[in-house]
Amino acid sequence: MLNYLIKRILWMIPMLIGISLISFFIMHLAPGDITSNESAFNPKASEESRQKLRELYNLDKPIIVQYGLWLKRIVQLDFGSSFASHQRPVLWEKKDENGNIKPGLIQKALPITLLINLLTILLIFSISILLGTIAAIKKNKIPDRMITLFVFIGFAIPGFWLALILMYSLGVVNQVLPISGLHSIGYEQMSKLGQILDLLKHLALPVFISCLSGLAGISLYVRNGMIEILNQDFIKTARAKGLYEKKVIFVHTLKNALLPLITILGLSIPGLIGGSVIAESIFAIPGMGKLFYDAVLMRDFPVVMGILTIGSILTLLGNLIADLAYAWADPRIRRGLAK
Amino acid sequence: MRKIIKNPMSLAGLIIISIIGILAIFAGYLSPFDPNYININAILLSPDGTHWMGTDALGRDVFSRMLHGAQISLLVGIVAVGISTIIGIILGSVAGYYRGIADTIIMRLVDVMLSIPSFFLILAVIAFLTPSIWNIMIVIGLTSWMGVTRLVRAEFLSLKERDFVLAAQTLGASDLRIILTHLLPNSLGPIIVSTVLGVASAVLVESGLSFLGLGVQAPTASWGNILTDGKEYIQFAWWLSLFPGLAILITVLGYNLLGEGLRDNFDQNT
Repeated sequence: MLNYLIKRILWMIPMLIGISLISFFIMHLAPGDITSNESAFNPKASEESRQKLRELYNLDKPIIVQYGLWLKRIVQLDFGSSFASHQRPVLWEKKDENGNIKPGLIQKALPITLLINLLTILLIFSISILLGTIAAIKKNKIPDRMITLFVFIGFAIPGFWLALILMYSLGVVNQVLPISGLHSIGYEQMSKLGQILDLLKHLALPVFISCLSGLAGISLYVRNGMIEILNQDFIKTARAKGLYEKKVIFVHTLKNALLPLITILGLSIPGLIGGSVIAESIFAIPGMGKLFYDAVLMRDFPVVMGILTIGSILTLLGNLIADLAYAWADPRIRRGLAK
Repeated sequence: MRKIIKNPMSLAGLIIISIIGILAIFAGYLSPFDPNYININAILLSPDGTHWMGTDALGRDVFSRMLHGAQISLLVGIVAVGISTIIGIILGSVAGYYRGIADTIIMRLVDVMLSIPSFFLILAVIAFLTPSIWNIMIVIGLTSWMGVTRLVRAEFLSLKERDFVLAAQTLGASDLRIILTHLLPNSLGPIIVSTVLGVASAVLVESGLSFLGLGVQAPTASWGNILTDGKEYIQFAWWLSLFPGLAILITVLGYNLLGEGLRDNFDQNT
């Protein structure tokens, strides 16, 4: 197991180099010098910050040296500071000349996005396992058809459109749920429980919107996995020896169908992180997606590059955790690695 | 073709796509008004006999804009997927046929691209370039070729060992000839399925980008930016928000139905 872990972590190094190469390439897409006005660079940026940018990316040096320096900065997780947002540091808090602590942009935004994504994943898995199992048991009957229809609509419905409709019907017309931000006015005065409830209320719509396409995909996946396993010999054996149908479904079949979901979970992370842009900017939630969107609009390049890199590193970490969890959960792999 | 019609899923998809495709192609003839004609005497009119889908805040006819928007959405979707499919076929063929170092490099590149959240990647590129319909197509195409590459490579790996390919090699056929006349035609099924499903997701991505104001730019109509314009008026002009969303939903549904139906057919064949 330890060998596998080491191998798996070492494998991330070439991946990180690849990611840094692509980020570096994107940075050089902008026509001409990225600090020049011709490249539609934010005209509000001062000559001073422009000079800082030139120094930051070492634009006067040969391209290979530029890449080496950029890689060095990524390794040290140094992404500089934002052009806008009072030149706050991109990643982590720093003291400025006057000794005041400037909080990092990603530092503040990341926990919010992680919370939304964790809730989203929890919801996706609990609901899709339920729907997938029902559809598999009732294969080709009405419940299965209904769930398949739901899956297709879930795939096709534009999240931002549904968000708009829900915002209007639940937030404006009926005022059941808040439609923007994370906290209500008077949040500070609420009890601990009240604060949590308030936060959950604010997160209800964004989490629901983020769930939608994942929910459709994974329900379908569980359904097809269950159907395939239900046709296998060991299930026939289980039934032949007179096990209750409930035990056959929930113990023998579901357990086997759920295993590959761990990998799917790992693969769905980049989609979830990327998807946060739309949900967060519609509901004005100050997470990574909104931060990224605002940075793109203002052409705040240090923030754009920082989030792109951190988002990719998060994806790599997510895949690592999923792979390790799979190796741990599947006895076939676990024993193979132990040998 | 007969199989597409027999499968209710792909038939439904094909009908939906055809109708929307025809509406888009003949948008110029079918539109009752100029989609960009501003009429200050007809602001925010609700749907009626003259304006089938009402008018927007500038008095432009929403039905005409929807038809022209269909043109843009389908054009972006199809060109973007064309780009990604061509890249995928070339890289996948090289990786699957030649193996070795080329395979390693290409597949690692696929892994790297897949680990960058794709919507972030698209937005980052748009931040450095300027948003225009051509840039959008290229960017979506350049960030979605990984699936096709993996697919073509996997198909080639299994086909390469088959007798007819060995026979062609023994007869001295060139690599290019083997790839183009033996391997590719035999992997066409899964490629078509992924292309059709790819159009669906490209249409969704384009509408998302346009909705965020980073896609197709005004005054050119796209379903995404009609919705963005309309969301300000959702309280008293529901038609501005309802129709573009429905159009995206139905189009994406159509491509997904056709794609999944085709997949069922190909799966039954093998």
